[in-house]
Amino acid sequence: MSTPSVSRAALNLKRFGRAPRLGKHLRKSPTTKLPQPHVKLITREFAPCRLEDHYHNTLQDDLMYMTYKHEPEGTRKAPRQIRLKFDPENPYSKFRANPSVGGSQLGKKPAPPSTPDNVVRLEKIQIHTMVKESIASKANLLAPLMMVRALTGETERGGGQHAVEGIQLVRGKKSIGGWLRQGIPAGVKVDLRGQSMYDFIGTLTEFVLPRLRDFNGVVLPPQSSSVNTPSAVSGVVSFGLPPQAMVFFPQLEVNIDAYPDHLPGIHIHFVTNATGVGAQDRARALVSGFQIPFARR
Amino acid sequence: MLARNILRHSGPCPRGAIHRAFSTQADTSSSSAPSVTSSKPILRPNIATAVILNRSPILTRTPTPFETAFYSYQARIRRALSNPFPHEFYFKQGSLLQTRFTIEERKREKIAFGPSFVPPEDVDPEKAAADKAAVEQLAQQEGEGEELAPRIHPSDISNDIKSLDRQGQRNLYLLLLANEGGKDVWRFPQGPVEKTELLHQAAQRDLYSEAGDHMDAWIVGRNPIGVYKPVGPAPEVQNCVFFYKAHIMAGQAQVDGEKVKDFAWLTKEEIEPRVDKEYWSVVKDILSDF
Repeated sequence: MSTPSVSRAALNLKRFGRAPRLGKHLRKSPTTKLPQPHVKLITREFAPCRLEDHYHNTLQDDLMYMTYKHEPEGTRKAPRQIRLKFDPENPYSKFRANPSVGGSQLGKKPAPPSTPDNVVRLEKIQIHTMVKESIASKANLLAPLMMVRALTGETERGGGQHAVEGIQLVRGKKSIGGWLRQGIPAGVKVDLRGQSMYDFIGTLTEFVLPRLRDFNGVVLPPQSSSVNTPSAVSGVVSFGLPPQAMVFFPQLEVNIDAYPDHLPGIHIHFVTNATGVGAQDRARALVSGFQIPFARR
Repeated sequence: MLARNILRHSGPCPRGAIHRAFSTQADTSSSSAPSVTSSKPILRPNIATAVILNRSPILTRTPTPFETAFYSYQARIRRALSNPFPHEFYFKQGSLLQTRFTIEERKREKIAFGPSFVPPEDVDPEKAAADKAAVEQLAQQEGEGEELAPRIHPSDISNDIKSLDRQGQRNLYLLLLANEGGKDVWRFPQGPVEKTELLHQAAQRDLYSEAGDHMDAWIVGRNPIGVYKPVGPAPEVQNCVFFYKAHIMAGQAQVDGEKVKDFAWLTKEEIEPRVDKEYWSVVKDILSDF
């Protein structure tokens, strides 16, 4: 019964009709000289993703159970106003920027109440590398650029994903005497979302981290460190890989001869949706669920 | 405290024991000391913990025909929109790696856009055959083409519900066949909470005491994830069973054969016909559909 329909579906995937005849030629991008489709195309998932399934099958439930804080409705107190804003009814301050006098108190904001919707999840992974030599000559940026392309499979605005910038050059924001000038390329960065993000974690945890010498885990900050700093409540887990570790990525290992001798290392930021007090712990719980180890010094 | 102590020593039928204990207490008090409030004895609830021991999927899920078609379509769009690949940076001209990449890329283009899309090769057939042989040799050296393990385990064929390798794509849960009040019932590993013990500690102890300590299990978090309030033979005593989730990391369950007769690793659908209806209504949302 079901076999003919399945085989027909399989057949339809591989059978190609004649390509549609183009009425007029596609507009070409002035910068890349490549033909541009006249509709905005966004590509979605193109293969099953093991780690994403793992998140939805196992991690999401576990993290909800582990990070749940019981707060019946109406029990949360309004934040204490240390120093008040200007009188909002005052015609002078009514339509002006009116920040509270004590600052934003960012590090002291409580976490949002636990709901099934705001279980901690991975939003994106940012990879970046700063190349000092590129300040002298931007040709030195080519190898790191190609390295990040090979690592992540992303290109600049490639694959029709307009939501993702792809690989970007980082340029100097301002001149710093004798070192950096405004607008010159100084590094490479890429934001990974969705499938490519999970693929990168998979490569990292299965090929790279197990082969690193003297790596027991991402070093945790000492227990005495403040929990109220903006970095401790941002829900971002960051660590770096040294230049020696880059050889272990199979994407680079396969043709390591193509790159010059010294490849730069990379910084990796796991950006999660956790905010408020204790965000760092929740973010670490999530990242360690993807088998990235943590260790105390 | 009295009720809890009785509960611990009363054996397989705690509810009946408690009921009797309080009735005798009421009898004696009414005969000897009428001042004791016999109408409202302080009844402690009967607290127990149960562990939902989970074996996570060990295989990726087979995509449905719709998913396969969707992925294929998206992959084609992605390929059509991708930026050109810079051969000259990544490969030395004429190297074996480049030859392999070209051959594989032609194959991928053919799969994506059909055989008529790929332009014919402009190398002489002798060279093409040599390239192909060299690439095949390279693949052999790198150990490609090894046969993959089958996605269906022998325990799926023999329907061995005790095997941890069955149903690799699904979440499995440990269910025990226990003797409760002279009746055999399927339920999750369960046991009473002892004095001065915290709930999550009790859950761990109860799991190992019923399902054996020949396994490595991790209990998720310290908060219970569900509660079941069965009505016992004594309706004035409240019974609470708190559920915890746990993962099995290694080993296998082992039962003593006396209080607990059997065990099984089951998917959500297989659990439903085995357990009590009221029990099912509590646990069904905790169990995974996948």
